[in-house]
Amino acid sequence: MFRVPFLVAIALAIAFGGGIWSTLRALEATAGFGAIRLGAWEAFPNAQTAAADPYAKSHRASAGALLYATAEGLQFTANVDDSGAALRGDCSYRISGHTPPTRLWTLHSVRTETMRKAEDAGLPVALNSRAILRHADGSFEIEVSADAKPGNWLAVPGDRRLRLRLTLLDTPAAGSSGLIDLSMPSIQQTGCRDA
Amino acid sequence: MLKLGLAIVTGLLGAALLHFIIILSLPYFSEKDAYTRVLAEGERHSFHRLPDIRDRAGLVQDDPFVELSVCAYDISQGPIRIYARGDVPFWSLGIYDAGSNEVFSINDRTASNGVLDVVLATPVQLTLLRKALPEPISEAILVETQQADGYMVLRTMVPQRSFNAAATEFLSQAVCAPFDWRPRQQF
Repeated sequence: MFRVPFLVAIALAIAFGGGIWSTLRALEATAGFGAIRLGAWEAFPNAQTAAADPYAKSHRASAGALLYATAEGLQFTANVDDSGAALRGDCSYRISGHTPPTRLWTLHSVRTETMRKAEDAGLPVALNSRAILRHADGSFEIEVSADAKPGNWLAVPGDRRLRLRLTLLDTPAAGSSGLIDLSMPSIQQTGCRDA
Repeated sequence: MLKLGLAIVTGLLGAALLHFIIILSLPYFSEKDAYTRVLAEGERHSFHRLPDIRDRAGLVQDDPFVELSVCAYDISQGPIRIYARGDVPFWSLGIYDAGSNEVFSINDRTASNGVLDVVLATPVQLTLLRKALPEPISEAILVETQQADGYMVLRTMVPQRSFNAAATEFLSQAVCAPFDWRPRQQF
């Protein structure tokens, strides 16, 4: 005798539960369509424009971040290494190669409270194009690790998942839609601490 | 059983519908979007420097080498002028409307003489401005925007700690404010 209300309740529960859950998931998982992926790096050159897709607009409305405009730069984020494995703070990585043509760039892991403590302790938690050692041809190698390394060392918090952010300032890459050949530095794992 | 299947299918259709409704309407209802946060920083028409720890408005300087200031504007009463100059290795300005869509962006290489001098106006104001073109803004870049309110972000780079003083000076003397734009009435 309660069959019909029961069925209606199921339909409503699936509609509201599923609708809200899928929306939250979608906003969390991606910053929209239109990403350019170069190896492990990912960027959204159109996310701040009026031409951005509804998912990108919705994401930026709920994240509230200050995005880089076209003449300002382009932000690349890496969550994985070149083999597709998630970046971890207890592993070491080597970032090597060239960036796309750009005037300046900065590299850091996405900031957390622990990082700020490390910054205060004088550790190199961020690097930029003016302050690194390079080979004669302009390419570079950066060691990403929680332990001190020789050469260019990027100190990262050792206990959690990592996200690396490479910001290109004043780059033609921001205005291009794949017309110029972009090459991003590779990210390779060089070893992990024992658990 | 068939009715149960039908209820589940109806539920899934409703979920998909709700998903798209939320995605499409979120930008109009969000209270966490960048414009709301910039407004929460303080009064309009002045630059507010962002701290390196997330403030109450929810904004933060997230790149250790990039210092930034934000300014909310409303040009419905009159155009505003954005002006800054200084000896910094890099600066850039991005102007956005209230929906966080990019209106205009510029950096020190695309500006003339590396000086930031931009006038932001509505199409009607711009017509009047072009007719009169008061002396102080004759060199400025005139930018037209349809929406009267929005915000802007001024960034500058501090590649080494020794550039800190220059960056602070550059950001602290930056202006985004209304100016005397109507030609004086002759009596």
